[in-house]
Parts: sequence; C-alpha cells; structure tokens
Amino acid sequence: MPERVKTDMGGATAALDYDAELMLRVKEGDGASFGLLLERHRSPVVHFLYRMVQNQAVAEELAQEVFLRVYRSRSSYEPTAKFTTWLFRIATHLALNSLRDRKNERLQERLDNDSSDLPARQVSDRRPSVEQKMVYQARLEEVRQAVAALPEKQRAAVLMHKYEEMEYSQIARVLRCSESAVKSLLFRAYETLRARLAHMA
Amino acid sequence: MKCPIETRENAELLLAYCTRKLDAESTAILERHMEICPACREFSSGQRAVWEALDAWEAAPVTLDFDRRLYRRIDREVSWWQLLMRPFRPVLVRQGLPIVAAACLVVMAGVLLQHPASAPPAVQPQSAQVDTFEPDQVEHALDAMHMLGEFSYRVRGDAADSKM
Repeated sequence: MPERVKTDMGGATAALDYDAELMLRVKEGDGASFGLLLERHRSPVVHFLYRMVQNQAVAEELAQEVFLRVYRSRSSYEPTAKFTTWLFRIATHLALNSLRDRKNERLQERLDNDSSDLPARQVSDRRPSVEQKMVYQARLEEVRQAVAALPEKQRAAVLMHKYEEMEYSQIARVLRCSESAVKSLLFRAYETLRARLAHMA
Repeated sequence: MKCPIETRENAELLLAYCTRKLDAESTAILERHMEICPACREFSSGQRAVWEALDAWEAAPVTLDFDRRLYRRIDREVSWWQLLMRPFRPVLVRQGLPIVAAACLVVMAGVLLQHPASAPPAVQPQSAQVDTFEPDQVEHALDAMHMLGEFSYRVRGDAADSKM
C-alpha cells in the first residue's frame, strides 16, 4: 500500500499522504475507504489511548469516539495537515478530557480489577514460569505507574514519541505547541522516567 | 565536542542516540565523547533502560467487535433522518408527483380564498352546460312545439285566404 500518493487537486498537483487521500474519498461518500482508514489506524489509536488512560475498556470507548468524530467531520475535511496529526489530536484531546474527568475514576477502578488479566494475554507462547510471570507483571506495573505519574502532556508526548515514532514537529502539531516545547517536554519526561526505571537495566 | 548533557538542546542528541535515531556520523562523535564523559555514559545507559522497560509494555489487542460496535454507532447516527423519513419513502418515490400536484392545488386554493376579490369572476362556458330533463318535460315540450306548428300553419293559411 503506497504511503504517499500524488493527486491532482484543483489543477495543482499536491502530494497527499495516503490517509488524506482515503479521507477525501470518504468525503465523497466512499464507505470502503473509511473501512481502510479504520483498518490502518484502529490499533495505534486504541494502544495510544490505552497507555494514556491505562484501561482497555475506556481506551476502546474513546477510540470509538475518535473514529466517530472523524466520520462526522468527513464533509468538512480538508487535507491541511497530515491525517495522523489530526487523528492523534482528536485522540489526545479525548484522552486528556477523560483523565481530567473525575467521574471516570470509579469506573476505572472497577475496570482496572478486570484488566488484571491483560498481561497474561500479552505473554507469548513461550509459556514462562510462574516466577517469570510475576517478575514480568511487577516490571510492567512499575512501568505503568511511572508513565501514569507523568504530567498528562508529557505522557502524551512520550507515548507518541516512543510508540508511534512521531517526529518532534508532528508531536508539536498534535499538542499545539512549539517544537522546542516538545523537546523540553520529552527531556523532562525521560528524566523522570530514568529516575524511576533506570534500576531495571 | 561540547558535552551534550550541559545544554538541554544538545541533550536531544543523546535522546536520539538512545533511541537509535542518530545518524552514523553523529553517533561516532558522541560515542568518542562518551568514552571520556561518565555523565553522558550514565545518561545513556539510564535512557536505554527506560527505552527497554517501555518496550516491555505491550498493549492488549483490540477486541474483535470493535468495528461492529463502531459501525452500529455510525448507522444510528447517520440514519436518524432516514429512519424518520422511512415510512414516507415508498409514497414519496411512487406518488411524489401527485402529492406535489395536490400540495400545489391546496396552496393555490388557499391563495384564492385569501384574495377572493382579486380573483377574476369565473366564466361559465355555455357549451359546457349540460341540463338534464325528465321524460314528462320532453313530452310536454314536444306537444307545445306541435301546437305552435299547427297554430302558425293555420295563421299562414288564414293570411293566404284573405289575400285572395
């Protein structure tokens, strides 16, 4: 699947990313293109939201809202920025709102108990021993807590930098701040994480 | 090389090095510097530990019915208007024109009723008048015509006799 395609827009040839091209087709009423967009970005968006809110059920609910907003905005969509920048801006906005929403706290606590079996599903088929599992769980819990303890914007920046492999400029556009502010956010975030996780080396 | 850890901007180099995003030339320069700089070595090993710890944090797979739930929400949202119009759709498709025509007539009638004075008086075309007669009336009419005929014949006969 091509990452970038050339398309003729109003006589001028403009380079669009493939996702923007798909979104323009959605705008023209092509439902299949929305399916393709969903296929390409479903996992990254859900995973990003899961690491932000640290709850699978809430993350999926937020991801549904992200794609619903994308679909709703199809008629007014203009490819002014990279599609993923727009997509993650929506996702980050929803995640930050959710984190700030104190009403979600009780739900999260209840669902966190349910999500205690999640790491077990992530373990590969190597069938680790009980001891290895416990060590893995403890390390994972430490990582989760260290990330959760970061200020929200730092957390979003780290997750986009580490897991989505976004450039500083794109993170800056998602968070609506300058590139130097992103560098500063990331530096402080990694400093905090180093202080908490360096002993894992 | 100036120690990258001394300025935050240069520390970006160290971050890029730890995430293996630094180009080969800068990597070589930085590694030479780290041989003599314990602070940068410590930063680097700590950052690599963080990176590996974060690598271990895999996200759970997305549930299988994610798409189905999303499309159900989209369908609900998109089709509320269609749902509202659904009972009228067959009527609109098949009988759209008659309904529009009837609506136009109703509107025109309303306009005419509101402005009766301005409406021109209706002219009844005479050719369109159709009267109905009872059989007795027809019989009487025929009798009357017969009598008139006889009367005029006699009047003409009397007039001819007097001229002679």
